[in-house]
Amino acid sequence: MVGDAPGEGTIARGGSVHISARDVTVTFGPVTALDGFTADIPRGIVGLLGPNGAGKSTFIKSSLGLLTLNRGTISVGGLDSRTQSLQIRDFVGYMPEHDCLIPSVNAVELVCYLGMISGMVSRDAMQRSHEMLDFVGIGEERYRPIKSYSTGMKQKVKLAQAMVHDPKLLFLDEPTSGMDPQGREEMLDLVTKMASSEKTILVSSHILQDVERICDYAVIIDSGKLVRSGEMKSLLAGEADVQSLTIRGSTAALSQYVRALEQVCQVIEKRDEAGQQLTMSVRGCGDGRKVFKLAAENGVQVRSFRPERLDLEEVFLHAFRGGGKDGH
Amino acid sequence: MERTGISPIEYRPWKGERTAQRQRLYVIARNVFRHKLKSPGVLVLLILGFLFVHTISLVFFILVPHDRVDPSAMNDYLGSGFFATFAMLFAAVVTSDLISEDLANSSFVLYFSRALKIRDYLGGKAVGALLVMSLMCAFPPVLVALVSMVTQGGGDYVYSFGVLGKTALVGLIVTVFFVPFGMMISSFTKRRSYAAVGTFMSFFVLALVAGVFSQFEQAWNVVSPINALSYLFGWIFEGVVPSYVDSAALVSIVASLIVVPAALVYFRLSMEAIGK
Repeated sequence: MVGDAPGEGTIARGGSVHISARDVTVTFGPVTALDGFTADIPRGIVGLLGPNGAGKSTFIKSSLGLLTLNRGTISVGGLDSRTQSLQIRDFVGYMPEHDCLIPSVNAVELVCYLGMISGMVSRDAMQRSHEMLDFVGIGEERYRPIKSYSTGMKQKVKLAQAMVHDPKLLFLDEPTSGMDPQGREEMLDLVTKMASSEKTILVSSHILQDVERICDYAVIIDSGKLVRSGEMKSLLAGEADVQSLTIRGSTAALSQYVRALEQVCQVIEKRDEAGQQLTMSVRGCGDGRKVFKLAAENGVQVRSFRPERLDLEEVFLHAFRGGGKDGH
Repeated sequence: MERTGISPIEYRPWKGERTAQRQRLYVIARNVFRHKLKSPGVLVLLILGFLFVHTISLVFFILVPHDRVDPSAMNDYLGSGFFATFAMLFAAVVTSDLISEDLANSSFVLYFSRALKIRDYLGGKAVGALLVMSLMCAFPPVLVALVSMVTQGGGDYVYSFGVLGKTALVGLIVTVFFVPFGMMISSFTKRRSYAAVGTFMSFFVLALVAGVFSQFEQAWNVVSPINALSYLFGWIFEGVVPSYVDSAALVSIVASLIVVPAALVYFRLSMEAIGK
């Protein structure tokens, strides 16, 4: 029964809701979707990143108690997903990835109905449904059957139904899936606005730019395992003594410069850009005097020299190559 | 970017209390009932059923002089097979999309990502369907019996009340009898048309099997759901079953056609909604 569970008091008073997974394994026949997955997901907007089939949706469904764990535990707001899944689902909103709306009804009917199934009385559910549809930007079309909606509108209705009961924790599974650029922008704006009301929002996505834009924290998952996790700032900051250097010159001069530079610094990575320009990740070049001196000696221009700052795509690729460090 | 014009709508947390957690079953039942009553197919069958199954008997009971409500006449009206066959057809239409539509739309996740038990989901769907079925199978026979009682010549109302009670019981049995089976078939397919035809054909096949084997042994008649209901109604109204029908077998078959499909649909949904 809702209200009997230990830990629920904290949630009801608006305490922080975080998720903790320990050694979680979930298999579907011969396929292992989660393989000893361990992660701590803090409050705020958290991105769950990974390629298709990495285990993101499986983790969300497991957290809701919709899948049986073969091994391990998932704690959501202090509640065990295996034994207290109903209590967990009572304070969680879930926006599924796939098409799941009932096409024959209109958006108001659907959102109101699901609000009532969440335990709201009819009048509250109706009022709140209109508020949420206003919030997501569904206007008069809310009275049309859902089967006539575009993909973007359906995504918005899915978001509205997930929020109708004002959950403390929101699982958004690929919220921008199938949306055009403007729709994506609108959806990301909505997520950001919701986060201002002290919610924990777990955004599962394989679109890295979306996650980079809105998330405070990221968890990267692949083949059912945690690859890397940490605050977005620290993930994007790169390593402390690694710098990005871009030089320009003739091919011969560039080669000569790189050979000379390798004598005084460690060149981690080189990216040739059309033969005339080279961008490198270097370590141990100090304040850069040696870099500039060698450039002058070899006749190349230094176009930029700055502490390395990655974008999420690079973090993602580093993580999959086994490089980088855990943000914990 | 600076925004101009009308202020954008911000997210406003909801300050209310959720107090209707225990009414989820009722919410689903009410939703099913409302949607069924908007369905043209259901409405047409309701009207046809009321006209052809009940109205003729109603007129007959009013016009023919009688001292009390006659159980034999009620048995002729409800146990002839026409009523049960029409109820079967109606149930096939009413239950066809109860689960198949959620399967087709993958909507289970909308229900079960909330604190909803499978028991409440199925209960809600079943109660909604039962309410619709009762409009055809329970209320009209009770109404006919009531009219027969009001128009009776004699004063033995206690006896008539007894027959009225038996009529209500028969109406209840028919209402309940077909719904679990229809829901079970509906949980096996994503197409409502397949579910409707499947439900009807399943009963038809049982009737066919009964027809074939009863040529060798009459007891096989009880395998036909329509015959089984007719025997049961005769038993309820007149206290007798044909000599070739074993009472225990009759009760077992009727009970198993209710309980086994209900258990199967629960199991099926457990597999579908709570993974693996």
